[in-house]
Amino acid sequence: MVLPRRKANRMQGLNVPDVDFETTWGVLEKAFLEIHTKNASALSFEELYRNAYKIVLKKKGEELYHKVADFEARWLSSEVRTKIVATITPPLQLLTEGNGGRLLSSTAERRTAGENFLRTLKQSWEDHGVCMGMLTDVLMYMVKDRVYCTDHRQPSIFAKAMGLFRDQILRSFDRPNGTMLAECLTKVILDQIQMDRDGEKIDQHLIKANVYMLEGLYQSDQEVEEEKLYLKMFEPYFLETSAAFYREEGERLLKESDAGTYCKEAKRRIDEESDRCRSTISEATTSKIQRVVEDELIRHKMKGLIEMDSGVQYMIDNDKLYELGLVFELEARVDPRKGELTKAIVKIVQDMGLAINRTAEVTSAAPPTAAAQDDAGEEKQKAGAARQINQQTVAALKWVEDVLALKERFDSIWKVAFNSDQTISTALTRSIADVINAFGRSSEYISLFIDENMKKGIRDKTEIEVDATLEQAIMTLRYLQDKDIFETYYKKHLCKRLLLKKSQSIDVEKQMISKMKMELGNSFTLKLEAMFKDMTLSEDLTGGYRAHVTRLGQADAKRVELSINVLTSMTWPLEAFRGAGEDEREGRSNLIFPGSIERIKTGFERFYAEKYSGRKLTWQTNMGDADMKATFPKSRNGRPMTHDINCSTYGMLILLLFNDLRADQPLSLEEIQTKTNIRESDLKRNLQSLAVAPKTRFLVKEPMSREIKAGDKFYYNDNFSSKIIKIKVGVVSAGNKVEGDKERKETEKKNNDSRGFAIEAAVVRIMKQRKDLSHAQLITETLTVLSSQFKPDVNMIKKRIESLIEREYLERIEDAPVPSYKYLA
Amino acid sequence: MATPLLSKHALESALSSEQRLISTGRLKEENPLDTSPSFRLFCEACRRGDLKVCQEHITQNININARDEFDYTPLILASLCGHYEVVQMLLEQGALCERDTFQGERCLYNALNDRIRNLLLSYDYSKSTDPLQPLAGHITSLLSRATPKTSDIAVHAGDATFTLHKFVLSARSPYFKRKLDAAPETTTWRLSQAVPAESFEAAIRYLYMGDAQVKLVEGEEKQEMVVAGVEKLSRMLEIPLLLEGILNAGDRRQARQRRTEEVERGRDQLATWFEENVLRHKLEVDTARAEDVQWDRDNGIFADVLLRADEEAEEDETPDEVSPHIPQVRNTTGPLNGIPIGHFQPSRSPSRARQPRKSILFPAHRAMLLRSEVFATMFASPFREGQELQHLQIVPVDCSPEVLSIVLTFLYTETASFGLDIALEVLHAADMLFIDRLKQRAALFISTLGNGSASIVEAENPRGETDAEDPINVYDVMRAGWDTRVHRLEEFGARYLAYRLERFIDEAEFKVLVQESAARIQGRQEIDTVELVDDIRYYLSERFRLRFEDAGLDEMMDEDVNAETSVPDPEAEAAESKGAVQDDEGVDVRSGLTPPQEDEFAPVVRTLDGEIAGDEFAQDAINYQILLGKIDSLMENLGLDG
Repeated sequence: MVLPRRKANRMQGLNVPDVDFETTWGVLEKAFLEIHTKNASALSFEELYRNAYKIVLKKKGEELYHKVADFEARWLSSEVRTKIVATITPPLQLLTEGNGGRLLSSTAERRTAGENFLRTLKQSWEDHGVCMGMLTDVLMYMVKDRVYCTDHRQPSIFAKAMGLFRDQILRSFDRPNGTMLAECLTKVILDQIQMDRDGEKIDQHLIKANVYMLEGLYQSDQEVEEEKLYLKMFEPYFLETSAAFYREEGERLLKESDAGTYCKEAKRRIDEESDRCRSTISEATTSKIQRVVEDELIRHKMKGLIEMDSGVQYMIDNDKLYELGLVFELEARVDPRKGELTKAIVKIVQDMGLAINRTAEVTSAAPPTAAAQDDAGEEKQKAGAARQINQQTVAALKWVEDVLALKERFDSIWKVAFNSDQTISTALTRSIADVINAFGRSSEYISLFIDENMKKGIRDKTEIEVDATLEQAIMTLRYLQDKDIFETYYKKHLCKRLLLKKSQSIDVEKQMISKMKMELGNSFTLKLEAMFKDMTLSEDLTGGYRAHVTRLGQADAKRVELSINVLTSMTWPLEAFRGAGEDEREGRSNLIFPGSIERIKTGFERFYAEKYSGRKLTWQTNMGDADMKATFPKSRNGRPMTHDINCSTYGMLILLLFNDLRADQPLSLEEIQTKTNIRESDLKRNLQSLAVAPKTRFLVKEPMSREIKAGDKFYYNDNFSSKIIKIKVGVVSAGNKVEGDKERKETEKKNNDSRGFAIEAAVVRIMKQRKDLSHAQLITETLTVLSSQFKPDVNMIKKRIESLIEREYLERIEDAPVPSYKYLA
Repeated sequence: MATPLLSKHALESALSSEQRLISTGRLKEENPLDTSPSFRLFCEACRRGDLKVCQEHITQNININARDEFDYTPLILASLCGHYEVVQMLLEQGALCERDTFQGERCLYNALNDRIRNLLLSYDYSKSTDPLQPLAGHITSLLSRATPKTSDIAVHAGDATFTLHKFVLSARSPYFKRKLDAAPETTTWRLSQAVPAESFEAAIRYLYMGDAQVKLVEGEEKQEMVVAGVEKLSRMLEIPLLLEGILNAGDRRQARQRRTEEVERGRDQLATWFEENVLRHKLEVDTARAEDVQWDRDNGIFADVLLRADEEAEEDETPDEVSPHIPQVRNTTGPLNGIPIGHFQPSRSPSRARQPRKSILFPAHRAMLLRSEVFATMFASPFREGQELQHLQIVPVDCSPEVLSIVLTFLYTETASFGLDIALEVLHAADMLFIDRLKQRAALFISTLGNGSASIVEAENPRGETDAEDPINVYDVMRAGWDTRVHRLEEFGARYLAYRLERFIDEAEFKVLVQESAARIQGRQEIDTVELVDDIRYYLSERFRLRFEDAGLDEMMDEDVNAETSVPDPEAEAAESKGAVQDDEGVDVRSGLTPPQEDEFAPVVRTLDGEIAGDEFAQDAINYQILLGKIDSLMENLGLDG
């Protein structure tokens, strides 16, 4: 059997019989030497490639591989190492041997020696790289020959050569028992970096080149990414020395400079380190070194920094916004929640808030003074002073304004210095809320603040300013916890404003209500809106009644016109008009009206009953007022003159008594009371304004004194004179006073009652829906439901639940694993 | 274009509109009708799975994507009949199977099994590339490739400067050809200011076989200027198709077709140019004086390097004539190291060289040589080849001039046609030069043609040996497969051996080959199998399995060896068997060869067993056992397990 003739086998190439490994290798070795001595340009790539190819083809790849490796090892250990070791001069030896090395030689010496060393090493590394590149080019076929390299579990020749550089150069010693070169390298670089930190110039590129070398080499020939020499032999030492350096630096700075400077310095250092990573060492270290610096300069020092004399408190007090910004920036680096700074800020806000609260308390907690002030106010009023603002009100206004100013201030700090940070914003909100809620009278004061503004504050303001004021009020409301108490106060104040027509602008009032609606929800403003509705309805009613009377055709000059406000009794806090401790039933509707008035009254009652059957009208005479025309004979320079007098209903009744009397006929206090049936305290107050106040002295009192006493007699004052045609009789007791202690207790009690109802209602609603529920869950849900109104006391909820159980709305579920309730339909 | 989920009527309408486009000549038909006899034979081969005939037809430049009168394309036939190898071969050589076309979907739908279907899908047009794409891509990449420097002319257009290659310009544009023929030493050229740089860039991309596209520029006016510039250049450079390409850049399929045509035209132009310049200017000199040849840089064909291949020294044929035993192979050196060396190296003594050897020098362009990784590294290296000297450097290439010519042709034109006789050599050269595609091509030739049949081998075997079946030396192929890491050849070799094992099993060189295979593995790790033997056993079972599978092999073994009871009508069976086996199995490999072998081996069977096997089945079964036994004993002799 014959196989076909083998055509010439040309795989063997041109120079025919040379298959001798040694000879071929000889050629290659000679060429390699040329390459290493930078004489490659005359060599023929083709020839070398062909030789290497042939060797591999003849299955001598392994031998070739080892030969090349041996050759490289020899070259590196003889030529290259000697050259490098020669550059390790005494200053470097000192540096690398002991810890005190830095001190034993001058910086300049060390720098020159170090740079020399680094330069030589860099040069060797680069040469090695170039040579190995050329070698692998030539050995291309061997490299490609997977049969060899991967099958034999050998690193590629290039990796092997890199490994050789590591073993023969970096892991060798500068002299027997000396330092390992890699260690020398690390120390030299660290020394150079230290110089850089001390502000001296160093050759960054040189270091970078060496670091680049360390990054290109691995612990073993497997080239595991985590085992770069850089990570193993340099980075840990670098981080360690850096940590030590910054620990010291930080302490020195804390001791020597103020907080602002410290922050600037710390920031500079951090930037510097990341610059250094970019320019001098490896980017991979950036995050690690930053962490070290942050740890040393910020995290461990932040608390001390904030609490320094020149710390955050100082900065806020002196509006050092830039420094605050720095502190924030540093803190933000190490702690996304900014714990330390937030803590400090919260404390400062609370301290400042506490101071505001205390001032307000001090101002208001002096009832005697306040009473005296009241008297003085009255005096002034008598003296013609139009305004009367008592101390309490001032305190209230000041408190609200202070709180607003506090918030304003921290808001601007927050914006400028804290970069509008969310966490700090939350903390600020919380601490301002704490300040507001820590003050017992906050609800009342806020309402008072609005009241004051509604009555006077907004008089000369543009729309925008008014809006801003309203917004401020709403803002404080937002923080307020006990919204129900606020509601009570606001209702009371609003009621007075509406009925006494003290409000500057109904539009603004409505605006305010709609703002509250937005902020606090529909249910909150329901009753307030009802009040406005009542007012409108009443206007219609009055008009309707007037038309009704006209239709009746009793054209009567003496007819008394009636203008009436019908108020829904549940909506309006009418008790606000009653004096403290007054009994509701006492003296109401028992007034004796003169005939014309009585007719009107009954006439309207009839009219109303026709219109709305089944409704009962209760006359609130204490709140009414009347316009009268009165003619005094000597009013205008001894000539008679008619005045329009506006006075309370009570005043009208009193004055009407004198209509039918002669000027010298007196009525005693007791007679007046019998004829009118006005309660004594009211009577006295009204008489005081009619007979004592100089501008409205329509009556003459005997004896002339300020106090009205039993047995006093009153005459018609026919000597009354005034240039003014319209005279308004003031009644003592108006004005937006802060409540007295007694009143407050009452408000509180009422408040507690209404809260009780609200809680019960909430509990029943929840239970109705859920049928049965555990105790803890019920409490939580109740709290959630009520949170928009107020924050109920848990004990109160418990009591209410007890009472609901008693009333058989709920029952306890026996043998439930956790205490639970069941709803009873 | 149709989407994959078209309903029948939508598909039909898409088809009819496509046909309308074709009939109006706007679209080239991808599958033209071909009723020639050779195409019919080709289709027939695809149907039968006859790798060799298929490859022969493809080599003769048959349109692989044509269809027969029943609208079948060769690819559809092969996939329908389940011939995986044929399908693979067709796809590798440019058969189209594109989703979203009628024929493509049909082909996928018809695939006999999932294996073939997946193969088809993996060659889907979007993924597969035009077989010419690597060439076109390389030429385009020359525009942006900075190292090593290969450009030899700088063209200034407006502010921009283009560094270009004279040979590309000359090959692709008649205008440049005239200009450069007149003054080949030109190194700079200035374009008239009237033509915007963008226009020129588009023209250049076109010349460099890239996508003809005009870069979008700001402003309509400017854009128009650019298009006008292109028009002007198109006229001036005498490349009329450039403008057309840019104007009609809309339709995807048309654009693709145009591009395919364009690349083909580019390749042809380059091929012509290559033929007329490179090949025509090759020099034949005495090897001894080859180094003295000096070419100036400014030569008429813009070559910047000379490649040298040496003729083989004349040999005295008689003593080296391959003898049946090839004894000197093992005598020269020790078994393991020495074999490849001794085997490949013709033992040549100085006395045999007769005449002065001749060398052929091919002038070449680095730009094209870069397609070989070795050349790319060489020209980029700081070695001598990487430098620019006064005269062109002569770079020797370690192969015969014939092979070098094939290599160059491939690098310049992406075509390779060569005989089986030098396929191995081409394979080695391609491996040495890292030209993967050429290597695959050579391997493909060997593995498809190498199984041989009378037709091709007789032509190749002029000596008229009596026993001339083997067109190749399977040992060489096997070793080449190992050396060049072409798995396909290993498979081919193992199969080749398995189907003719009777002939090889006792040869000494077979034993050596097994040892070599074992050595390859042991070098890796201590697992006790020999890859070659495993492969041969596998193919051996494949070879016999076909006949046993109906009755069940084990049963057959037990019964047939002892008695012939199970076969009812032995005589009739025996009479028909040869023909039946061939037709049914359709395995080309076996059709011509195996039966005669069996006849040859029948006496051996008899002598070994001492009795005559009654029929074909029994004979096969016994043969199978004997061959397996021989392998086992061979392994034992060699001290190998497995």
